[in-house]
Amino acid sequence: MSLGSIDYGILALYFLFVLAIGLLLRRKMESSEDFLTSRHSVPVWITSLAFLAANLGAQEVVGMCASGAKYGLMTADFYWIGAVPAMIFVGVFMMPFYYGSRARSVPEYLRLRFDEKTRVLNAAAFAVMTLFSSGVSMYALGKLFELVLGWDFTRSVLLSALIVLVYTFLGGLTSAIYNEVLQFFLIVLGFAPLAILAVLRIGGWRAMAARLPAVMTNIWRYAGSTSQNPMGVEAFGLIAGLGFVLSFGYWCTDFLVVQRAMAADSMSAARRTPLIAAFPKMILPFIVIVPGIAAVALMHMGVGYSLPLKNGGYDYDQALTTLMTKLYPSGMLGVGLTALMASFMSGMAGNVTAFNTVFTYDLYQGHIRRNAPDRHYLWVGRASTVGGVALSIAAAYLAREYNNIMDVLQLVFSFVNAPLFATFLLGMFWKRATGHGAFTGLLAGTGAAALTHGWTVAEGKGGWIMNLHSFPSTMAQNFWIAIFAWSTCFLVTIFVSLATAPKQTEELRGLVYGVTEIPHDKLEPWYKRPGPLALVVGAALIALNLIFW
Amino acid sequence: MFDLRLPIGIFFAILGIILVASPGERAVLTTVPVNLYAGAAMLLFGGAMLWLASRKS
Repeated sequence: MSLGSIDYGILALYFLFVLAIGLLLRRKMESSEDFLTSRHSVPVWITSLAFLAANLGAQEVVGMCASGAKYGLMTADFYWIGAVPAMIFVGVFMMPFYYGSRARSVPEYLRLRFDEKTRVLNAAAFAVMTLFSSGVSMYALGKLFELVLGWDFTRSVLLSALIVLVYTFLGGLTSAIYNEVLQFFLIVLGFAPLAILAVLRIGGWRAMAARLPAVMTNIWRYAGSTSQNPMGVEAFGLIAGLGFVLSFGYWCTDFLVVQRAMAADSMSAARRTPLIAAFPKMILPFIVIVPGIAAVALMHMGVGYSLPLKNGGYDYDQALTTLMTKLYPSGMLGVGLTALMASFMSGMAGNVTAFNTVFTYDLYQGHIRRNAPDRHYLWVGRASTVGGVALSIAAAYLAREYNNIMDVLQLVFSFVNAPLFATFLLGMFWKRATGHGAFTGLLAGTGAAALTHGWTVAEGKGGWIMNLHSFPSTMAQNFWIAIFAWSTCFLVTIFVSLATAPKQTEELRGLVYGVTEIPHDKLEPWYKRPGPLALVVGAALIALNLIFW
Repeated sequence: MFDLRLPIGIFFAILGIILVASPGERAVLTTVPVNLYAGAAMLLFGGAMLWLASRKS
């Protein structure tokens, strides 16, 4: 496939705008908090869209479209059972403690609530993980552009990383957040026409459903048992594993997204950030998953479209890009590829700006140099931005050379992440939970995750201790690993907390439910209050699940 | 801090104009004049952003 000069022009225009936004914000960066936390100054509509866009990386967009082609509409479970309930929870119940504690990062909240060792465990794991995931998505993007456009891997990786570096270096978190909003609109306006054109070409939603097995266009009807659906999952694993443990673990504790809400200009705005973001989040499956489903239907029609092959099967990861080349003319094709680039950049900038904050405040200021003047930490923040980008590029090349190491690392990180939500839940809602309890709970939960993986097998993965149980898919295995890790962390934290000395109630003010004042805003109109907003989101969510049952 | 709606409005307005100005391009699998419709939508969106930004100041 080749691009015309309009397409390159559009890409260049986009680069110009993201750099200009960084440049415009440069002068505002006077202290380390301006640079790393935006100092609670960003309007709520901006934090909401950034909250969403930081998670909407290229891997998410390409991967969701691929899953749509592979599994059908059940992929929307990642939005309509995963994601949105957790977003409601973090906004309504957890944000008062994050925002009210005045912590500058999630690990810093753990230090205030528990102790230093829990913070370091979380900060170190998070720092390594963000760099690693930004490297992996950079690798995925470079490979895709190499495959589809014939662009040189090194050149596309370096160019996109350099642009992200320049605008985050100039304007810090504010620049990343402002650009994420531009990127979000570009992703929506660049990909939505693809879903519309593909479904129209087939003859509408009903015609598309008629051409596909029924399991491709329903989300719950075939979730009764693992053998009925191609994901190999059943309702309990889906709801408890994905909907509860994994989604709440990500949306409620991951600093990458929580940081966006914490940048909001008031407590009410911080709480409304995930709730407002939930509206576009609910719509996203139609933009990123439907094209994948449509790709399969188009292939059955024999109109000259086919998914490329790879290792004897379909290469689902190319569903999005191949569909674009068939349905977008020169011009719109440039917009679509720019949207792909934008999604990559919003994900990477999210990772980099979360990394530099955790590195500067939780690792550097906490352990390397404690009482330096603020100018020094601003400098460290900038330096760690450069270092973060450089290490991401290194990780991208590592992923290219050693795929296996990357798989192992990804697995280890999933073990570390799985139990996190139990720690935060107990920390925020149970005064008696202690630092020793949280720390041992996290380690035990990670251990339980590793053991579950060692004792079960799915698609040839796991079972390195012995095979006690076989799962029909790695997805089902992941859900159950998460369930065991969470439960272990939850129980161990409780037992160890009861056996160790609690913190004084005075120390917990603003950090735990029951000793924190939750602001009431009865005088505001309903759409400016978290409670009513959450009810509307919940009702819309239930409606979507019923319509596509 | 500057009003973010301004650069976003300008960006999508330019994008819309570029697309609307090249309506002749056709894709392999569809006869729809994609650039024309998508360009008009972007022009509309960019215009709305600029209008919102100007209304405030």
